[in-house]
Amino acid sequence: MKFKSDATQETEKRIFLTRILFSISMISLLVILILLRLVQLQIFDSDKYKLRSMNNTIRTQSLPATRGLIYDRNNQILAENQPVFQLEMIPEQIKDIELTLNGLIQLGIIDGKNLETIKDNVSKNYQFKAIVLNNRLTEKQMAIFANSRTRFKGVDIKARLSRHYPKKEITAHALGYVGTISPIDYKVFDPSLYTGQEQIGKTSIERDYEPMLHGNPGNEQVLVNVRGRVMESLGTIPFSPGDDLILTIDTKLQEIAYEAMKDKKGAVVGIDPSNGEILILLSTPSYDPNLLSRGMSISEYKAFEKNKDKPLFNRAIAGQYPPGSVIKPMLGLAGLHLGFIDPTKYEPCNGAFSLPNYSRPFKDWRTHGPVNLKEAIQASCDVYFYKTAIKMGIENMSDFLLKFNLGTTTEIDIGQEKAGVIPNPSWKRNNFKSKENQSWYRGETVIAGIGQGYMLTTPLQLAFATSMIANKGMSYKPHLVKGITDSSLKKTEYIDPIIVNHLDDINLNHWEIIHMGMKAVVNQKGGTAYGMFDNNYPLAGKTGSSQIYSTEKIQGRNVPEELQDHGLFIGFAPPENPKIALAIIVENGISGRTAAAPVAKKILDVFLEDKKDDSKQQ
Amino acid sequence: MIANNNKDIFSLKPSEGLQQRLHIDFPLFLAFMVIFMISLTTIYSASNSSIDAVLNQGIKIMISIFAMGVVAQFSPLSYARIGPWLYCVCLVLLILVLIIGETRNGATRWLNIGITSFQPSELMKIAMPLMIAGYISRGALPPNVSSVALSITIVLIPSYLIMEEPDLGTSILVAFSGLVVIFLSGLKKRYLALAFTLFLAYLPFMWSNIHPFQKKRVLSFLNPESDPLGSGYHLIQSKIAIGSGGIFGKGWLNSTQGQLDFLPERTTDFIFAILAEEFGFLGVSLLIGIYLFIIGRGIMIAINAQDLFSRLLASSISLTFFVYVFVNIAMTTGLLPVVGVPLPLISSGGTSMVTIMVGLGMLMSVQTHRRLLEK
Repeated sequence: MKFKSDATQETEKRIFLTRILFSISMISLLVILILLRLVQLQIFDSDKYKLRSMNNTIRTQSLPATRGLIYDRNNQILAENQPVFQLEMIPEQIKDIELTLNGLIQLGIIDGKNLETIKDNVSKNYQFKAIVLNNRLTEKQMAIFANSRTRFKGVDIKARLSRHYPKKEITAHALGYVGTISPIDYKVFDPSLYTGQEQIGKTSIERDYEPMLHGNPGNEQVLVNVRGRVMESLGTIPFSPGDDLILTIDTKLQEIAYEAMKDKKGAVVGIDPSNGEILILLSTPSYDPNLLSRGMSISEYKAFEKNKDKPLFNRAIAGQYPPGSVIKPMLGLAGLHLGFIDPTKYEPCNGAFSLPNYSRPFKDWRTHGPVNLKEAIQASCDVYFYKTAIKMGIENMSDFLLKFNLGTTTEIDIGQEKAGVIPNPSWKRNNFKSKENQSWYRGETVIAGIGQGYMLTTPLQLAFATSMIANKGMSYKPHLVKGITDSSLKKTEYIDPIIVNHLDDINLNHWEIIHMGMKAVVNQKGGTAYGMFDNNYPLAGKTGSSQIYSTEKIQGRNVPEELQDHGLFIGFAPPENPKIALAIIVENGISGRTAAAPVAKKILDVFLEDKKDDSKQQ
Repeated sequence: MIANNNKDIFSLKPSEGLQQRLHIDFPLFLAFMVIFMISLTTIYSASNSSIDAVLNQGIKIMISIFAMGVVAQFSPLSYARIGPWLYCVCLVLLILVLIIGETRNGATRWLNIGITSFQPSELMKIAMPLMIAGYISRGALPPNVSSVALSITIVLIPSYLIMEEPDLGTSILVAFSGLVVIFLSGLKKRYLALAFTLFLAYLPFMWSNIHPFQKKRVLSFLNPESDPLGSGYHLIQSKIAIGSGGIFGKGWLNSTQGQLDFLPERTTDFIFAILAEEFGFLGVSLLIGIYLFIIGRGIMIAINAQDLFSRLLASSISLTFFVYVFVNIAMTTGLLPVVGVPLPLISSGGTSMVTIMVGLGMLMSVQTHRRLLEK
C-alpha cells in the first residue's frame, strides 16, 4: 500500500467530510419524509384505517330464534321443536375425505346417493366449515357411528332443532308445515330475519302466523381471521323466541274425525257458534308434515304433488263442492223471509217438476206427496225447492245466500281459502266467454234450488253458515288461533271473537221453522238422517248429496267411483244451546245419510258426552 | 485549518479498556440489544404467539452476534486485503446461481452447497463495500475519470447479476453500497449530474427488462386499490395495519391485522406494519430513533477513522444500513414500491441478519483498531 502525504490525506478528509455532511442532510430529509408519512397514516387518517381494520375482522352472525310452539285449546302440544342429530364433517380436519366418506357409506351411516352432493359442498365451501353428511341420524346409525368414531376424525354428531308435529296427519292441514326457504318466501318475508336459517312456515298456521312464530333472531359479533374462521366472540344480542300459539282446535275431536275420515276423501269443519272458534279442521287424505319439515327430496315432493288424491290440498277451506240439499235450510229461510213461502201450505210432489219449454222434467230423488216447508227439509223434497226457486227467482236467492257468507270468503285467519260460487245472471255474464253461455236460463234457477248447477261452497263456508243458522243469524268470524303467548313475557293475549251478523232482521219464528225441519231430519221418521243417530239425539242437521256428473245422471251400480255423488252433512248440536256447528263432506260418498252422517255421529257422541260432563261439573 | 477544526468537532476519544480489548463498541452493542428485544417481541406477536418462531429468531440473533464479534477482531487492513478476493469469489458464485441455482417462488437466488443453500447476493453485500473502498482508497481523491468508470463497472456487474435472479431489493442495496463509496470519495459534481441523467435515461430500459411481477408491484404501488385482492393486497393491508395503530397502538399481541392473518409476510418484510399497529406512532418513532442512533454512531466512527479505506468502509456500511431501514419503512407505508427488503435486525430471516451484523462488526473493527494503527 502506498503511503499518502499528510496534505493529500487532509484533502481527502475534507472532501469526505463535505460529502458526509451532504449525506447526513439527505438522511434527515428522508427521515422527515418517513415521519410525515407516519403522521399522515397513524394520526390524520387513523380513524379511516381503524374502520377498515374493523371491517376486515368483525362479522355479525345471526342467532336464529327458537320457533314458537303450537298448542290446541286444551294445551296439548301440536307443533314442537325436537332436537335431531345430524352428522357433520369439517374437511380441513380430515386427511382423506374420499376414504372417510366411503367408510361411512359402508357402515350405512350416509346414503351413497348423496355422495356427489356432499363432494360438491366440500369443494364449494371453506375448508373449516362443517358439511352436513346426514341431516337426521337414526338411533341405530348413531350407535354404529359411536362404535367406530375413532376411525372418523373430523366427523361429528351435532344436535339441531327441527319442527315436529306429534299428531302427524291428524292436524296437518290445520297447522301446515315448515319447509326449506324458497326465493318466493323472500318476497313475502324480510330475508334479513332469516340469515343462517333453512326453514320457514309454508302453509296454514305455520305460514300465516310466521312473523309471530319466527321470533326475532339475535346476533353475535365475532372476530374472524382472513379466511373467515371465527376466532372469538365479541358479544351477543340474544334472540327473542317466537310466540307460542294456542289454537281453537280440539285435538280429541280432530282425532275422532280423522279416524272416521282417514280412508275417505273429504273434509270436516266444526265451529263453536258461540265464538267462531274452529274445533275441527280436517281434510283427507292427509299427509305427515314431519316428512316435509325434515326436508324431502324433490322426487318425493313431486310424488306427493302428483298423487291424484291430492293429500296436500286443504279441502276444508279450499275444496269447492256443490252444496246439494244442504242448501235447502238457507233457501227455505230465504223463502220465508221474503214472503215466497207459506210454512203451513202443503205443496204436492209427484217426483218431478216441469218447466214450460223444457223437454225433460226436473226429477226428485223420490216421490214425497204433499209436503210443507218443515217436511220438505226433513225429507229433502227437491220438487218443493224447485218450485220455491222459481217463485223467488235467482237474484233473490243469490242475494240471500251471500248473507250466509256463501260465495265470499269467511276471512278465516289462514290463507288459501276459496270463495266458492253463488251464481246469478251477472256472475254468468262475467265468467263465460261466449254470448250464448252468458245468458241465464230458468232451468238453472231451478237446479240452484237444490244446490246444484254452478253453485260451489267450501266445507268451511258450510260450517260457518250452519253456525249462523244455529245462532239464528248472529255468528262470529271463524278463527283458528285462540291466544298468542309472548314467549319472553309469558303472557297470553286472547283473541276476541269478531261478531258477524248479516241476518239480524229475520223473524225468530222463521228461524224456528228451519230448526224444526233440521231437527226432524235427525229425529223424525221420514227424516233423511233418521235412524243414523240414537233416538231423540240433540242434533239439528241436513243431509245432502251433490251431483258431480252433471250432464246426465247415471243410474245403478256401474258409475265409476270418482263420478259418484258427494255425501254431505251439516248440523248443529245441541239445537237449543248450540255448542258446535258441523259441516262434513265425503267425496264420492254417494249419499249424505250413509257417508257423512255417521262421521257426524262419531264426533258428536264424544263431544256431547264431554259437554254433559262439563255441565255436571259446573 | 478547516481540517483541524473538523477534527476538533468530530473527534472521539479513542476507545479504551474493555471495549478496546474485546473490539466491541458498547454503545452500538447496547443499541443492537434493544433492537433484538424489539425483534423477538414483535416476532412473537406476528407469528401468532409461536415460541418456536421466537427461539428460531433467538438462535439467528446469537449466530449474528457471534459473527459480528468474530469480524470485529480483525483489523480493517485485513479486510482491505481480502476485499478483491471475496468480490471475485462472489462474482463467480453469482454467475453460478444463474446457471445452477435453486429456484424458489420463481426466483433463482440460492446456491446449494451440500449441507445448506445460501444466497451469494447476501455475501456480495459485504464484498461490495470492501472491494470498492479498497479500490478507491488506493488512488488519489477525487478519483479520475477512468477509475470512476472502473468503479462503476465493479458495482454494476454484480448488481445486474442479482437483478437477473431476480432480487431487485438486494440489487439496489448492493449497488447503493458501492455507489455511495464513489460518491463519498469526492466524485465531481458534473459526473454526479451525468450519472443522474444516465440513470433517468436508463429507467425506461429497466422498465422493459424487469420481471412482470416486479412491474405489477410498481403498478400496484402507484394505485394499490386497483387490485385490492391481488397485487395491491399487501400494501392495502399494511397501510390498514399501520394506520389503525394510531398514536399509541393497539398494544402488544392485539394487532388484528396480524393476529388474524390479514397481513401477509408479517414476520419478514412487513414486520414494521405489525410494530406500527401494536405500538403506534410513538413505538415506531422510538424504533426509528434507535436506528438513527446506530447510523449516527456509524457515521461518527467513519469520520474518526484513521485511513481512507476505513472511512469509506464505515460510511458505506452506515449509509447502506440507513437505506435498508428507509426502503423497508417506505415500502410498508406505501412511499416506495414493494421491493422485498427486510427491516434490518428485526425481520425474521437468518442470512440478511448475519450479513448486516457482519457489516456492523466491521464498523466495530474500524472503531476498535484505531490505536493499533496509530502506533
